[in-house]
Amino acid sequence: MADDTVAQGGRRAGGIWSRRLSAGQPLGAILLCVVLSAAATTATLSNLAAQLPAALWLDALGTPDVADMRLVLVHYAFLPRLAISLLCGAALGLAGTVLQQVLRNPLASPETVGVSAGAHLALALATLAAPSLLAFGREWVALVGAFVAIVAVVALSWHKRLSPLSVVLAGLVVSLYAGAIGAALIVLRHEWLASLFIWGAGSLGQQDWTTTLWLLPRLAAAVVAIGLMVRPLTLLGLEDEGARSLGLPLGVYRVAGLGAAVALIAFVVAAVGVIGFVGLAAATLARIGGARRLGQRLLMAPLVGAVLLWAADQAVQLATGPQGDLLPTGAITALLGAPLLLWLLPRLALASEAPALTAEHLPRSRRPGLVLAALGLSLIVLVGLALLLGPGPHGWSFAFGDQLQPLLSWRWPRVTAALSAGAMLALAGLMMQRLTGNPMASPEVLGISAGAALGMVLALFLVSDPGRPVQTAAATAGAFAALLVTLTLGRRAAYAPERLLLAGVALTALFDALILVLTATGDPRAMLLLNWLTGSTYGVDVGSALLTSAIALCLFLLAPAFIRWLDMLPLGAPAVQGLGIDLRKTRLAVLLMVAALTAASTLIVGPLTFIGLMAPHLARRLGLARALPQALGAVLAGALIMVAADWIGRTAIFPRQIPAGLVATLIGGPVLMWLLRRR
Amino acid sequence: MPENDRRAARRGSMTRRGALGLFLLPFAGSLSAAPRPLRIVSLDAGLTETLLMLGVRPVAIADREVWEKWVVEPPLPPEIADVGTLLEPNLEFLQQLRPDVILAIPYLDGIKPLLERVAPVTTIGIYTEEGRPYQLAVDATRQLARLVGKEEEGEALIAATEAGFLEIRQQLAPLSARPLYIVNFMDPRNVRVYGRQSLFQDVFDRIGIRNAWTGDTNYWGFATLGLDGLATASDARLAYMEPLPEGAGGTLTESPVWNAMPFVRNRSIMRLPAVLMFGALPSAARFAHELAKAMTGDAAHG
Repeated sequence: MADDTVAQGGRRAGGIWSRRLSAGQPLGAILLCVVLSAAATTATLSNLAAQLPAALWLDALGTPDVADMRLVLVHYAFLPRLAISLLCGAALGLAGTVLQQVLRNPLASPETVGVSAGAHLALALATLAAPSLLAFGREWVALVGAFVAIVAVVALSWHKRLSPLSVVLAGLVVSLYAGAIGAALIVLRHEWLASLFIWGAGSLGQQDWTTTLWLLPRLAAAVVAIGLMVRPLTLLGLEDEGARSLGLPLGVYRVAGLGAAVALIAFVVAAVGVIGFVGLAAATLARIGGARRLGQRLLMAPLVGAVLLWAADQAVQLATGPQGDLLPTGAITALLGAPLLLWLLPRLALASEAPALTAEHLPRSRRPGLVLAALGLSLIVLVGLALLLGPGPHGWSFAFGDQLQPLLSWRWPRVTAALSAGAMLALAGLMMQRLTGNPMASPEVLGISAGAALGMVLALFLVSDPGRPVQTAAATAGAFAALLVTLTLGRRAAYAPERLLLAGVALTALFDALILVLTATGDPRAMLLLNWLTGSTYGVDVGSALLTSAIALCLFLLAPAFIRWLDMLPLGAPAVQGLGIDLRKTRLAVLLMVAALTAASTLIVGPLTFIGLMAPHLARRLGLARALPQALGAVLAGALIMVAADWIGRTAIFPRQIPAGLVATLIGGPVLMWLLRRR
Repeated sequence: MPENDRRAARRGSMTRRGALGLFLLPFAGSLSAAPRPLRIVSLDAGLTETLLMLGVRPVAIADREVWEKWVVEPPLPPEIADVGTLLEPNLEFLQQLRPDVILAIPYLDGIKPLLERVAPVTTIGIYTEEGRPYQLAVDATRQLARLVGKEEEGEALIAATEAGFLEIRQQLAPLSARPLYIVNFMDPRNVRVYGRQSLFQDVFDRIGIRNAWTGDTNYWGFATLGLDGLATASDARLAYMEPLPEGAGGTLTESPVWNAMPFVRNRSIMRLPAVLMFGALPSAARFAHELAKAMTGDAAHG
């Protein structure tokens, strides 16, 4: 059964487009290249003319006279930037196409499989912790990061046989985790005076030809490697059986193709940082444009990619003046690319995947009550510790007597808020996973968290001196707006889970891009934003603690109404409909509940935790199989993790603090990956 | 509320609670022969440096590490405690310090309700949309001096700062013809250049130096731009301030764009030690002093 679905997915991945185009030449893609090149050429000439009179253009090609700054800038800044945009765009387009072919996944791309994020994080870590490594070679650092990311993604989705959706979701988890570590670096270094995202926000700005010359041979080597593999890669698009019968060592070519694509991405990230979504857009547009055979796609996708990035970069320069460096082109392409992904979603014919939770053979506890009691007891002990034990100016101490009252007044709102938020996220995650039958589903992935964060960003940057009520209202509005987008996109497919999740991926990417653009300006408000994004419970006062716990209580009282559905939904759509349940209405109700839970908790712990993803799995691993005990177990586990994260965050580097959401992510990420690895 | 604070700061008066503290001050003095000094927690480095110059040691500050890297002078006495980061000072720690007053800036209005549960908060704005930080720093000095009962020292600090400017103005008069860029490197390609609304601009005006950057700035007084954005003024000099970001120093000298910049070609670049760009009078004085030292040293070298 599982084999069938995968095979089906593979066949569709080969020719997913519902619209049939002429099978001959990729006319659409060629037309697109011509139109975009014309626009890009016009923009380039206009940008160039703004810097240098046309009469001097030829002089700028040779080594310029240093006395004329205009010549120097064109020769050492404008021209290499032009070359870099073409090179990187082509490399990403090629990498995207190879990834899609090797993984037989129409959604694979440098961003969606986590490779860009991995390379970027490795470079950031090296810059901060061991700059000497960079002298040794940026590409090696980036390569290590990129390969660790792709290995993690493959490992996480292996048991689903690298099905398109599981790969993309694993890629998202890896990207989120890498992003969280990046945020931790900035928060812990607390350099609010310095700029934030100086490393690789995807700025294409150049000051000489060294990066271009550095990139050229490395890209060429990868291109040659791919060129030698065209035939075996073509066969990889076939069914495994078919290819194997031709006597090809499939595994070897899969790994080699993947390696070449990952190397291309790592080189680009090492050179200019993360260029969002160009890889996906180029590979997809080439395919829509009629490039059917792999040979055509391998040719057209790099062309489209190069023209896309060239046009985008020149447009950015038009908008910001010559060498507009501070609107990073990579972030701008992500801003444009995310809507593209949203537009693509309804046009993709992805096979629905087999429900995973039922397929797994995990131990079932015969005494779920006992497990729940143990969880509950641990929670009580932990809450006690979090309230009473902590460091002070004179070392660690248990608070009692006179000291207790003032300390408690600080601690209980944070503990309460963390507990409520953790519990709500856990319930939201459980509902998502049961609804979609996908073990990687969670509100973080649904894009609701990103929506809430987006609302907060707008409040911070558009309203002067926004108070907490304004921020709260804006975040809630953002969460529901994101939900609305997701629901609108999902309606056509009767809220089919896969579409919703992918819409979430796109929304999250859009949000990340916006954050990058805002923070790249070096505005001190960006630091305020980052503090909240990383899930600090610092600002929680009595009012918001009580409000959060009240909302949590109300929503938990509603939860029993959902339990029957949650038991049935994992059986799969046909079975549920067979039981006489209106699938659309059920899904809508569950989604609304998830949105409410997520919005309320995101306000407290930020959009980056993994609680919603992790807590249901923990409950399941503890042997809680049916919906009700699993829900209770997940809620307890979620609360437990969040209270622990808040406590650790408050005490680990006293008197400084690590935001609770960040601690939860840093602990939760590896735990989650380990849980998913184990079968 | 922040609007009120700003107005309060402009008038040189203070918030209600701060004023209350002041009313109590004479009583404290009259009740005991040696009045207990105010226990002050100062969250902003600009306010802290002013207090130190007035001869008052706050009990605690935020971000000691930032001080060592960005403020440098005056040196921080070791017994001053660190309450954590500027944006999230540790409230439990603060409470156990039992401060009489907490000094904050408008940037921290978001956490003011929390701070007020510990002690009265006095918000003093130097960097506001008004964009005349020097004048507001003078006001802040008077306000702080009144708060700690050191009005004389406050006036002396203001007078000494002004006198220092006057002296440096004369010293730099022969060098004042050429405009000067003042920048921080963000990375090897991008700089933060200080202009209108910055403390450095106000100092320039007082020591008779023309700022080469006349473009737009944000309300913190700087603009972030690519190095090549500085190429327009051909006779300008450039002073860049420490700390340098990782890797900026090494690659600078190799960049052909950097080497073709007019101020690099005619060797009109200076390296200044770190000066707090969001500081108060002591930072302004330190900036003028370090700049004069670099410019005259430069001139002596030829």
